[in-house]
Amino acid sequence: MLQKKICMVGVFGTGKTCLVQQYVHSIFSVKYLSTVGVKIDKKEVQVGDQPVTLMLWDLEGRDSNRDVNGSYVRGAHGLIYVADGTRRETVEQLSEIQDMVTGVVGEIPSVMALNKIDLTDEWQLGSSDENPPGPNGVHRIRTSAKTGEGVEATFQWLAEATMRNPVT
Amino acid sequence: MTLDPHENVANGEKPVAEFAALRRLLVGPEQRRLQELSEEIEARELTAAELADHLPEAIALRGSRDRQLGRALGPTIETALRESIRRNPREMATAIFPILGPAIRKAIAEAMAGLVRSINNAVDQSLSVRGLKWRVEAWRTGVPYPDIVIKHALVYRVEQVFLVHAETGLLLEHVSAPDLSVPDADLISGMLTAIQDFVRDSFRPAEGAMLRTFSVGEHTVQVEAGPQALLAIVVRGQAPDTLLRRQQDTLETVHLEFASQLTNFSGEALPFEPARPLLEGCLETVLTTTQPGAPRRLRWLRWAVPLFLIVAVIGGLYVRSALRWGRALATLRAEPGVVVVDASRGWRRWSISGMKDPVAREPSAVLAAAGLSSRALSGTWESYLSLDSAIVIARATRSLGLTSTAAVSLRSDTLFVSGVVPLEAFARARQGGLPPGIAGVDLRSASPVLPAALESLRQSIDAELVQFEPGSSELPQASMTRLTTFASRLRQLNDGVAALGASTRLVLTGRTDPTGADETNTALAQRRVDRVAGLLALSGVDTSRLILDAVATARPLPADDPAERARINRSVSFAVTVSADHRTARGQ
Ligand SMILES: Nc1nc2c(ncn2[C@@H]2O[C@H](COP(=O)(O)OP(=O)(O)OP(=O)(O)O)[C@@H](O)[C@H]2O)c(=O)[nH]1
Ligand SMILES: [Mg+2]
Repeated sequence: MLQKKICMVGVFGTGKTCLVQQYVHSIFSVKYLSTVGVKIDKKEVQVGDQPVTLMLWDLEGRDSNRDVNGSYVRGAHGLIYVADGTRRETVEQLSEIQDMVTGVVGEIPSVMALNKIDLTDEWQLGSSDENPPGPNGVHRIRTSAKTGEGVEATFQWLAEATMRNPVT
Repeated sequence: MTLDPHENVANGEKPVAEFAALRRLLVGPEQRRLQELSEEIEARELTAAELADHLPEAIALRGSRDRQLGRALGPTIETALRESIRRNPREMATAIFPILGPAIRKAIAEAMAGLVRSINNAVDQSLSVRGLKWRVEAWRTGVPYPDIVIKHALVYRVEQVFLVHAETGLLLEHVSAPDLSVPDADLISGMLTAIQDFVRDSFRPAEGAMLRTFSVGEHTVQVEAGPQALLAIVVRGQAPDTLLRRQQDTLETVHLEFASQLTNFSGEALPFEPARPLLEGCLETVLTTTQPGAPRRLRWLRWAVPLFLIVAVIGGLYVRSALRWGRALATLRAEPGVVVVDASRGWRRWSISGMKDPVAREPSAVLAAAGLSSRALSGTWESYLSLDSAIVIARATRSLGLTSTAAVSLRSDTLFVSGVVPLEAFARARQGGLPPGIAGVDLRSASPVLPAALESLRQSIDAELVQFEPGSSELPQASMTRLTTFASRLRQLNDGVAALGASTRLVLTGRTDPTGADETNTALAQRRVDRVAGLLALSGVDTSRLILDAVATARPLPADDPAERARINRSVSFAVTVSADHRTARGQ
């Protein structure tokens, strides 16, 4: 049984919990988040012939990265940065979070979910942003936890990336 | 060394020898020094490779000689260690964890042992009495004994064991009690580490401290952390210290045996499957009855109770068997027509021998009727004639062919029979050959019953009715022919009954309808009876057996309709009586 620890990181209210909720059927109530600061769910995916169990750690977002909890990302095999496309600053703030997180786990496979793509009217990111803000060198996928768009693809992309990564 | 100048002079070598001696005297010390130096130089030229070859040996050699080497190296090694630990403490902790753990625990265990013993004693004191009580409860309620014990005596039960990768919180291996299924062990594993992180972050305890136990209802989760893995066990009930020790042992063994797998772990749990037996070692159920260390003076109870039960059961069986044996013998002795001569009882089989009257009940049937199994009984019976009154009666009943409709009693040697008795019995009683024990049979209060064939014949005769025209005593031709066959049937009955030593009588009842004066009617009835009797006589019926009764209107045949009643009473009807001979052969 191959398992990978995947952490959802991002500023509060960007939709981390909703993305996980959209992706898996949870056994733990969302209440855990506020008490323990993390909720864990799992999802079994297939990478090639290999079944992989993704253990999804949904971390409670804070309004500043100061407090993003380093110990929870320890040992992670993959990261999902979540930003809210209707709030440009949530993308920018990810850079700081990235610094902090990679300080703990090093360079590991990551993907960035530009969430709430269903809110096209309020979308603040140009579709062909020349120099997009936010974490460097991270693959981006537009998602909507509401419609499910890009959600499956995000997790699948990351699962495959962790399998390619020779370090993890 | 002494110099002898004459030694070699004789053979002409004197100058050479002298020179050598001189040289020795002059440069001897220098020469020796030279030699030493050259050896020293050779030694200096020992290469690094050669040194590598010899170093372990050399160290061992020196080490065995004195402690100088250790003393010399000590400070250097200390410095090196201190430096190494300062740079990477985890490495060092990982390395010494399996060694240090047991040593520390051993010291603590020593101190705890006394306390544990006294607690165990207290628990075991009440063992035996309670054990018996539970057995009774199980027996009374029908609940299986183990369930009762668990209900009362579950000390603790390790239901689940999680081996968790410390860094990632991923589940390496999980085992659970056989009757338990835990579908989301991997999630629980993750949450266990997350909670650890949460506690660490929230309370910022001292370095390395952690949440070791927490309780949920009657379950306790006990987490032991090693450098690379956590071992969490879920315990129901009160976990003792020994369990913690086992948990620590297991975790250390895992670190030792799976060191490289733990270090190289990247999500694949398969390499940890061999750890299952180790983890399963932690799954245990302990009841007060299975807790070790029962005090010596109560230990005998462990075998004494079953032994007592076995003895009690055997004794009980023996007593029961003896009682049943006694009852069997008494029953047989009381049985008429059975005489027990010899009886012996083995452990399983009983054998009885004696005498038995042919009409007596089978001994096995007697015992069965008394509720005693005949399976174990073997009997040897000689025939004899019993004069026991019950047997005499039974024998007579049988030989006379009496049925249950007859009541039979014996007074001195006369058998009194009453009730309904087959006609043949009368004949047999008369013919003599009475069974032993009986000198005479009194059948005066018995009424004979005909054999079936004769009885139906009699009934057909009784049903016959000869009818007349009003006021007439003449018979039509049809009635006359009918009377002829009737007469032959009558003769047939007579002969049959006579063959059984009895005789019949035929009562002819003459009747009239109610019209007309009584005198006329009486006369008419008489004429009708006479007429029929006359015709029967003509057909060869013995008239001495006929009884003529002209009742006229006195005892009419019943019918609801008056006309019909009048018609059927213008008639002669018949009734057969059978009279058996009551005399019996006496004094044989
Ligand atoms: N329209 C729309 N709303 C979304 C989407 N994803 C999340 N939301 C909304 O955004 C809000 C925050 O979502 P959460 O999933 O709780 O965000 P989070 O990142 O888990 O927040 P924290 O736990 O506080 O860090 C909720 O009101 C969601 O309904 C989306 O894709 N589209
Ligand atoms: Mg959330």
